[in-house]
Amino acid sequence: MNDALWLAVLASALGTLLMRLVPLLWMRRRLRKTAGRDGVEAMPQWLGILGPLMVAAVLGVSLVPREPDALAWVATAIGVIATLLVWRRTRSLGWPVAAGVAAYGLVVVLGGLG
Amino acid sequence: MSLQATSSPPRPWLTGLREAIPLLGGYVPVAISFGLIAVQAGFSAWEAVVISTLVYAGASQFLFVGMVAGGAPLWLVVAMTLLINLRHVVYAPNLAPWVTTSRWWPWLMHGLTDQVFALAHHRLPQLPEAQRLGWFTGAALLAWASWIGGTALGAVAGDWLIGGWPLLGEVMPFALPALFLVLVVPRFTSRRWSLALGTSIGLAMLCTLAGLTNLGIPLAAACGALCFYLVKVDPRTSGGGHE
Repeated sequence: MNDALWLAVLASALGTLLMRLVPLLWMRRRLRKTAGRDGVEAMPQWLGILGPLMVAAVLGVSLVPREPDALAWVATAIGVIATLLVWRRTRSLGWPVAAGVAAYGLVVVLGGLG
Repeated sequence: MSLQATSSPPRPWLTGLREAIPLLGGYVPVAISFGLIAVQAGFSAWEAVVISTLVYAGASQFLFVGMVAGGAPLWLVVAMTLLINLRHVVYAPNLAPWVTTSRWWPWLMHGLTDQVFALAHHRLPQLPEAQRLGWFTGAALLAWASWIGGTALGAVAGDWLIGGWPLLGEVMPFALPALFLVLVVPRFTSRRWSLALGTSIGLAMLCTLAGLTNLGIPLAAACGALCFYLVKVDPRTSGGGHE
């Protein structure tokens, strides 16, 4: 990489870091000004609503298979059902994910054999 | 990987590390792909690793190497990279109420990716204050290390890996939607929230199918929020959930 390209990498890295960092400093300051109130209450309401919805949007994006053919959609649906069933039983993070991946993988393998 | 925080694990960073393991299923195959594509685009293996270490933002890195390889002006490459990462500005403020006064927190924000945010947004409120920094450090460092390691692996042996175990790269990424599902499901506490979350999930899927993945995340979240504010639910039929 030449100097200009290195500069572009550094600018991208610094810009990305600032986008992750500066809002934290802003919110910390805001929370300090409203000291005495519960942290969540001091947060703007729209921000508290946007947080879970961003996670939901990331879920939506990740649910779409890279090769969205019929087999991949069926595998995704079965993986989702397996994840939900195990989550309902265990209320944990790890086991539902393992069950979802196993169910998804099983459908992909069996579908590939057919 | 219990969700309960009533007992006090002696090493919170280890808990964070353990709870971030599902992220690896999604990170490593994508990082391997990035390493391979970066080398094919003319970057050396260690340059690809430096990009993953410093920029550490999946989609924008693919765009970065793609645009550079295509001969785009560098100012445009940087502008597009930053534009794709703009969605990150709403992540840290959502964690701020649970962030302690430690001076390490601002530096740890380098590790605040979509996936780490989703996990931390769910877990930090459940953890005692003394454990939050350690937990986040463990989770964020494992995710970062897996991204860097995956890039190195992809740059050095990506062709061989993808040729030898194509199924692994196809199956393991399902760990990400499975994890996000587990993080989102407890939020379905009322009809109002269900409608807003369902709108965000559905719209994000549609945007992804239309090839607008990065625009899809903020757009879908904003539409979900609009839905939350616009839809008035009769409290007698709302299920009495927390709003």
